[in-house]
This record gives sequence, structure tokens and C-alpha cells, in this order.
Amino acid sequence: MSEPKVILIVDDDPDFKRAVAHLFESCGHRVWMADNGRQGFDLAKTVRPDLIVLDVMMAERTEGFFTLGRIRDDPALRETPVIVVSSVYADHPEFRVSPEAGWLPADLFLAKPIDPARLVEESARLMTAPAPSAGRRQAGSRGR
Amino acid sequence: MKILKIPKDHLDLFVSVLPAFGELYAPVRRGKGHAFDRPALWSEVDLSYARTILPPRKFFLPPREATFRFDPKTGYHGLLAEAATPRVLFGVHAYDIYGLNILDRVFAQGRFADPYYVTRRRHTAIIGIDVEPDEAHFASSMNADAVDTGFDLFLSDLGEEYLVLVGTSRGHDMVTMSGCLLADPTPADFAEYKRRSSLRRAAYRTRVELNDLAEILEIEYRSQVWEDLGERCLSCGACSHVCPTCYCFDVADEVDLGSRSGQRVRTWDSCLFKMHAAVAGGENFRHTRASRIKFRFYHKQRGFVAEYGRPSCVGCGRCSVSCPAGIDITTVIRMIRGQTDAHDDRADLAGSRDGESVPPAPRPDLAHPADGA
Repeated sequence: MSEPKVILIVDDDPDFKRAVAHLFESCGHRVWMADNGRQGFDLAKTVRPDLIVLDVMMAERTEGFFTLGRIRDDPALRETPVIVVSSVYADHPEFRVSPEAGWLPADLFLAKPIDPARLVEESARLMTAPAPSAGRRQAGSRGR
Repeated sequence: MKILKIPKDHLDLFVSVLPAFGELYAPVRRGKGHAFDRPALWSEVDLSYARTILPPRKFFLPPREATFRFDPKTGYHGLLAEAATPRVLFGVHAYDIYGLNILDRVFAQGRFADPYYVTRRRHTAIIGIDVEPDEAHFASSMNADAVDTGFDLFLSDLGEEYLVLVGTSRGHDMVTMSGCLLADPTPADFAEYKRRSSLRRAAYRTRVELNDLAEILEIEYRSQVWEDLGERCLSCGACSHVCPTCYCFDVADEVDLGSRSGQRVRTWDSCLFKMHAAVAGGENFRHTRASRIKFRFYHKQRGFVAEYGRPSCVGCGRCSVSCPAGIDITTVIRMIRGQTDAHDDRADLAGSRDGESVPPAPRPDLAHPADGA
């Protein structure tokens, strides 16, 4: 069993949240849960998680994107690894903007439905990896 | 110029990509008005706003900024790097973009470019959008209701979609990064754009006559209108602080307590303030309120014309909306032109706006001293 970490799950789907929480708890981690972006951001400021698992489409379909922006703007949370999990591409095929194109300041994007084994594996990797340089995490890396 | 279109219901997805180009600022509701601020959610963005309380000038000439630090042991340390924060201003009206273009003439294209201003301009992307003018807007009279330059992208309302003008390579990069959200317009879209373009200009209900205004101001330099305005003006400086093109500033050195190190700070100033024209020796060139408000009008509508070929006013209406004494710039211009009796009651000075209450007249018992200060 890996070293216990604190993980925050932000998703408006209670079933998904509970399932992922069980997954992480079975690995010995402590899990916090939030129902929306605002609550998730506030909770992250309080519990200072080692990892955030963030949905995109909640009450608003871009809520997760905006929440991720707030996380990356916050000096206390900027370095926190974030895995974005979403079905935004399946639900909105017109949004053919690859997360690999460099616009999404997340550490990893996983499309729902997710493979639990991969989520555990990638989470462990991100929580042990050295923090990236602040420059990579800051907004506007493409700004001129 | 490349022209594309985007469905309105894709705008939230498009905006999600923009933080890759800098911190996103957009019009959000603040109290009874709007302000350019960081939205926490897309639903906070209100693109139907009439005007923001402060213009986008605040991003380029902040109300207060430290320009450098000084220390007797280590010398001067510039703070220019902090001005290089990438930003995206989303939803800027054409008259405010025009205002920035005017500021460029003073701070970027003049003999002495201001490095702080220039750095912020270079690192800030501008995405413009159409405005639905209200009674206080008169941007069409100032030829500031449309812009050809000064934006990376400009969104024009087509109904269910926006026509997107791509103004810069940075704007092109934004389009490219957003994948397939934007598409090529059809001939019908262009026809609709032209139809709405005429309607947009016609939608400005408040108009002022700009032709020969500089000459008329020359003639009316000693008009009683300025004395009457001086009686009403509170010299609060609100009109200049909300103006997209006012740029007066003051500079002071702030020394750290107990040391000889410190920082040089510049802050917004206003020509309406009593000490604005005070100089060493105790002289004050604009001692009275009448002289100060007259100076402001002459600088905007006449001095700038002589220097740059056009007034620095863009017709946003902020000064009229924010004036606690109800002084309306369009009414003042009409009075100077002799179109309104300068001695009419204050309703004329304040103008009349449908659906908007005229602020109460200043109470005589709270009037300023007779010396005009």
C-alpha cells in the first residue's frame, strides 16, 4: 500500500464520486468530495489535497474548466496535480479541441467512462512526481 | 482580415480555451453595475452589459502602481516584469477599444513611450463585442462605435451567431486552438452583418454635433456656461476616473519607515482636483471649480483635436452616468452650441434619460464654499 494521501473529488454525479472514493480509500488514501466547482475550490483551499479529480460538466458544462483556471491562479493550489475526468467530448462532439493541444492546464485528461486501474496508477504517479515548474502551470504560456 | 463565425451556444467552450493566452477578464455584475473581473463561472459573464464602471484603462494604467524600488546599497530595481502578465480581456465594447487606441497615441506612439503601458498592451489580448447602446451612449457621434484596429478578435451579433473578425496573429492562434468551434460565414451571414451594422449605428439615440466643435469652444472660452458648471461641479473627479482616455497621474516616492529605501509610485490624478494645477511657490493655475471643469472639456474636445486630430472623448457616457451632480456631457456640448439655454433648470444640464432617474440637485446647505474650491 502506498503512502496515504489526501484526494479531492469534484463531481456532481454522486455515484461516480462514491465509486472513485471507494477506489482511493481502498488504497489507504483519505478522500474529500465536493458537488460543484465553487465548493471544490473552497474545499481545496481548506484541506490542501495531494490530488484533485475534477469533472468538467457540472451545473454548467464548462464549470470544471473555470474551476481549473481558479486552481492554477491560486498560489497555494497552483502546484496541486489535477486529473480532469469528463465526457465533454462525447457529449459535445463539436468541441474537438484536444486537451493535448496545450490549452488545458491539467496534468492529465481522462475521458469517462474511466478505467479504474489506470486512474489509480496515474494518481499514484502524479502524487509522487516532483512538482512541475511554476511557469508551466501559469496561465498564458501562449500569451505574447 | 480573416472573418469567421461562431454559434452563440459555443461561446462558453471557446472561452474555456482562452486562459491558454492569459488570465481571463470579462464583464461580470458588480453591485448595480458591471466590472471587468475574473469570472469564476461562465454564467457570471454578462455580455449584455451597457458599460463597465471603470474602463479597460485600469489594466494598462492601474489606479496605483509601483514603477521601481530604490535602495541606497543596491540601487534601482525596476518592476517592469510584473507588467508582463499575460491577460485576455473578453467582451470589450468598440468605444473602449477606441479609447485604448487613443491612449496608445499618448503612451506608446509618442516621443517617450511608457514602458509599463507598452508592456501591458503587448501582453494583453483584446476580444471585442457589440454593444446595445443606451441613452447615455453617444459613441456614434464620436465615430467610436466601430473599430478597425486594436483588437485580436471582434464579435458582431448576427442573432444566433457572432461574426468573428480576426484582427491579429494572436487572434488567429486563438481560433486555431479552439479547433472546429468556428466556421466560415455564408453570403447570408455577410448580408445579415451589413443589415445589423446599419441598425447598430441607428440605435444610438443620443447624438452630439462634432463638426466645428473645437472652433465653437474657442469662441465660447469665456461663456457663462463654465461658471454655471463650476457652481454645480463637486470636483470629485469621478468623471475623469471613469473616463477611458483620461490619464493624468501623480508620482510620489514612498520611503520605507526607518530606512532610505522605498519605491516610486504613480497614482491616478484628476484635473478636477484643486491641487492638480498647484505649483511650487503657492500658485494654482486653476483655482476655481469653473476653471477646472472648463479645462477638462477643453482638453478633451479641443486640445486633443489640435494635437491628435480628433477629440479624446469616445462617447461611452460614463462621465454622465457617474456624475453625482448630474452633469451630462452631451447637454453641455449642446449648451455651448447655443442649442440649450445655459440658465435653464438643472434638468437640462443633466439631460433626460428614459427609465433613468435624474440625480437630485445638490442641497444648498451642502454647497461648496463660494471660492469654488
